[in-house]
Amino acid sequence: MADNHFEAKVRRQSGAVVIDLIGEINSFAEEALNGAYAEGNSGKPESILLNFSRVDYINSTGIALIVGLLAQARKSGRRLLTCGLSDHYVEIFKITRLSDFMSMYADEVSALGGVKSET
Amino acid sequence: MSTTPDVKTREEAHWAQPVSKLKVSDVPAGAINLNVEGRQVVGPLQGFGQLWQKTYRVRLSGSKAAPTDVIKTWKENFPKFWPAGNKFYAPLTGIKPGEVAVLNLSMPGGMPLSTGMLVLYADDESFTLMTPQGHMESGWITFSAYEEDGAAVAQVQSIARANDPMYEIGFMLFAHKVQEDFWHHTLRSLAAHFGVEGQVQMFKTCVDSRWQWSQVKNIWHNAAIRTALGMPGQLVGNIFRRQKDGG
Repeated sequence: MADNHFEAKVRRQSGAVVIDLIGEINSFAEEALNGAYAEGNSGKPESILLNFSRVDYINSTGIALIVGLLAQARKSGRRLLTCGLSDHYVEIFKITRLSDFMSMYADEVSALGGVKSET
Repeated sequence: MSTTPDVKTREEAHWAQPVSKLKVSDVPAGAINLNVEGRQVVGPLQGFGQLWQKTYRVRLSGSKAAPTDVIKTWKENFPKFWPAGNKFYAPLTGIKPGEVAVLNLSMPGGMPLSTGMLVLYADDESFTLMTPQGHMESGWITFSAYEEDGAAVAQVQSIARANDPMYEIGFMLFAHKVQEDFWHHTLRSLAAHFGVEGQVQMFKTCVDSRWQWSQVKNIWHNAAIRTALGMPGQLVGNIFRRQKDGG
């Protein structure tokens, strides 16, 4: 049975918008995830960082939601980055070829360092 | 520390292991096995055409089947619910993460098309198939079931774009309708299996309307062209194999 516990919190940090994802990313996460992205995107930041370090589980519907965000980001010229993915999900992002379009960092500090060095 | 092994088990049990190139383990007799072996899988971001998310749903009102029953039946009988003329050769082990299926599809005009799918994800309430290079679409399609107001709802949700310009033209002219009719038929057949005369609802959104010109080169792998070119050789090979097997 899918868990419906999911939260997405938006904050601004070192020139980027960070979205902290908490819980399980599945079909129940759609509204919260898209809402957080819209809130983060409203300030027209250059980069949006998805922080997965508190994500317990992602199913295939959850990955499709990330694709939706990536498509929106590419359309509006934003960079979408990730940090905190477990080794397993790093592999999943590689299988699904999301990694072709998103820079993946081990943690938030290195991700924000990457944002600074490219701006 | 007791939860970590469980989480890992769930992830490992449901997701495919990394694959660089697809490998077909068993090819049933009669299947045209072209355009699968050695291909890479491609996601919704790698194709050429407009990116569409399409969702089809049917409510199994009156049936007592739970979502897990629906998915179990769907996995076990996946091709039986398809329109006639289209074949899905599931692996002998069934629809399980990392397995590769061969598809023989009937295109408009009766033209055959051989391609495949990787089982990217599977759990008790859903499973997801991902396309390889050369397939009509680049992306994946998720089959799921959930409970709503006391009845199971079966759902098909795709997020994909045409793999190359030739397919994109096909989609613009007729293939969107063919595809939508295909999944309407499938869901009605699934509902009928549970004794329900299902009314299918469809929702579609163009997630990205741009063409990705950097992906024009995908036409090199086009499975429709390659099936047409490869069919004579495949048929001759099948005849020789049958003669050899027959003694």
